[in-house]
Amino acid sequence: MGTTILATIGSLIAGGVVASIAVVGLVSSQTGPGDTSPSDVTQPVNIDYGSNG
Amino acid sequence: MADWRRLVPCIWSLGLALLLLGPALAPGYVLSYDMVWVPDLALRPDFLGVGSGLPRAVPSDAVVAVLDEIVPGMLLQKLVLVAVLVAGGLGARRLTDPRSLGAQLVAITLYQWNPFVAERLLLGHWPVLVGYAVLPWVILAAQRWRTTGELPPRLWCLVPLGCLSAGAGLVTAVVLLAFAVERSGRRLAMVAILVVAGNAPWLVSGVLHASEAVTDPAGASAFALHDEGSVPAPLAALGLGGIWNSEVVPPSRTGAAGWLSVALLVVLVGIGLRRWVRYAGRREVAAFTTCWVLGWGIAVLTWAAPDQMAWVVAHVPGSGVLRDGARLLALCAPLLVAAAGHGAATVLGGVARAARPATAVVLLLAPVAVMPDAALGVAGRLTPTELPADYALAREAMARDLSSGSRGDVLLLPLTSYRQPAWNHGHKVLDPVGRFLAPDFVASDDLFVSGRRIEGEDPRARAAAAILERPTPEERSAGLAGLGVGYVVTERGLGPVPAVTGTVVHDGPELVVRSLEDPVARATPWSWRIAMSVAWILFLGLFFVGLGSRKRRAVRRCRLDA
Repeated sequence: MGTTILATIGSLIAGGVVASIAVVGLVSSQTGPGDTSPSDVTQPVNIDYGSNG
Repeated sequence: MADWRRLVPCIWSLGLALLLLGPALAPGYVLSYDMVWVPDLALRPDFLGVGSGLPRAVPSDAVVAVLDEIVPGMLLQKLVLVAVLVAGGLGARRLTDPRSLGAQLVAITLYQWNPFVAERLLLGHWPVLVGYAVLPWVILAAQRWRTTGELPPRLWCLVPLGCLSAGAGLVTAVVLLAFAVERSGRRLAMVAILVVAGNAPWLVSGVLHASEAVTDPAGASAFALHDEGSVPAPLAALGLGGIWNSEVVPPSRTGAAGWLSVALLVVLVGIGLRRWVRYAGRREVAAFTTCWVLGWGIAVLTWAAPDQMAWVVAHVPGSGVLRDGARLLALCAPLLVAAAGHGAATVLGGVARAARPATAVVLLLAPVAVMPDAALGVAGRLTPTELPADYALAREAMARDLSSGSRGDVLLLPLTSYRQPAWNHGHKVLDPVGRFLAPDFVASDDLFVSGRRIEGEDPRARAAAAILERPTPEERSAGLAGLGVGYVVTERGLGPVPAVTGTVVHDGPELVVRSLEDPVARATPWSWRIAMSVAWILFLGLFFVGLGSRKRRAVRRCRLDA
């Protein structure tokens, strides 16, 4: 019985934490910097490699 | 109760799709990298596979050109974007434990909310995503075919839908072979017919362009599987990440959250593996595993052996389809969601009843919590826009000129492939002018990746570039007319372009359209026309056979009922 109550409380806390992280993440990720305008429009548009490029 | 259980996954899937797309569903066209949608895409010979370059957008462009005669282009784009997410999620749900609603919802979440989906959306690879959405349904239909011995009518329609691009077609073919084939020659022959017919438009066009079907070896390392920040490429690939273009990788993938997301997925799959193997049976497990090994293996090969891949794409015609290694990770998704769903069922079954709702919340929201920047149009980067009004005026002016007897294809200047217009919120996009206008067009297909030029394959674009090097405008115009170019469309504000002589038929704030004198009519060999006609008949034939079979089956059922 005691274990069940602890598991329930634990899962509620975990659920609350994950839900909070998801909501905070959703909100904060929308406020990041957008695409920057090209510094020189006469140059071909460049696309960047991944980090090991 | 049963209805309620059926409804929840649909609502969850739709909710996730709306959360992911967010502003992309507002009025306007979403233009991002290779995703170019316009109000009325005109069907033209190049879209049918008889152009001078490799069939990169065959048959997807032709399909859109036909469909947007029925549904407006803007609405069609929204429908496609929502449908690929919801259809994929609801298909994935059926790959896992049908007894556990939690398992199904986790499978939906993982299939819809992962780096593969977010990155391909941003990169504009919507035909790849259509193939990805169709994948679970192809698996289910193939399983049914194998177990009942009767080919489900829906498979005739699913296969061509899954083959709207070469990469997607390859994935669909592998899945069909893995899940449907048995030791029966007849079954193998039927699978081969489906695969060949579904892929016929790009396959036949690719064969016709065999002489140009080898690609720049520099592209092999540029488009290979890549690390995501601190997450090494093979590990990123475990979580369906590792795309070559770092600009489309959500920032959350490159740090601790990237590691966490891979770890969570691997743990959940690990927990569910034994249960899933017991549930699915050896034959299914072998098929899922074959797909996973091929997808992950080829993706990692592009990262581990770039020099060898460079040799292959430079010497083996058609092998360029493999150079974007991360694209094949779609093959890994079915196993991941099936096993992870069983993992979720195991976890939920192992906790106290009262703790299940909160545990389910953890399992369902964890993928969102570790990649929150996929939300709302990948953090607002899938934002719709209105194409400049001047484009429509240019199209009208050209239509008037064409109706007065002019002809010829369009050359787009400056001769570079991508644009980053302010009216598109500064987002990069493949030059949309060519698709906006009605005739076939010649545009650069070179790509600049981290300052390095990856040469395109279209010999006509190369010839146009050489002609533009000529010393005088008259010589350039004559040379371009000899190439079949009847119009030169110059985009303003992108720097100086080589001058050409010709009649200005439109001079607007965005575009200048010049009509050239006496362009040579571009001749398409009859052999090409016949070959492509056969290819299209095969492709479209699948839909007709599928719809016909459904109707026949419905009639038979009615008679039996009577």
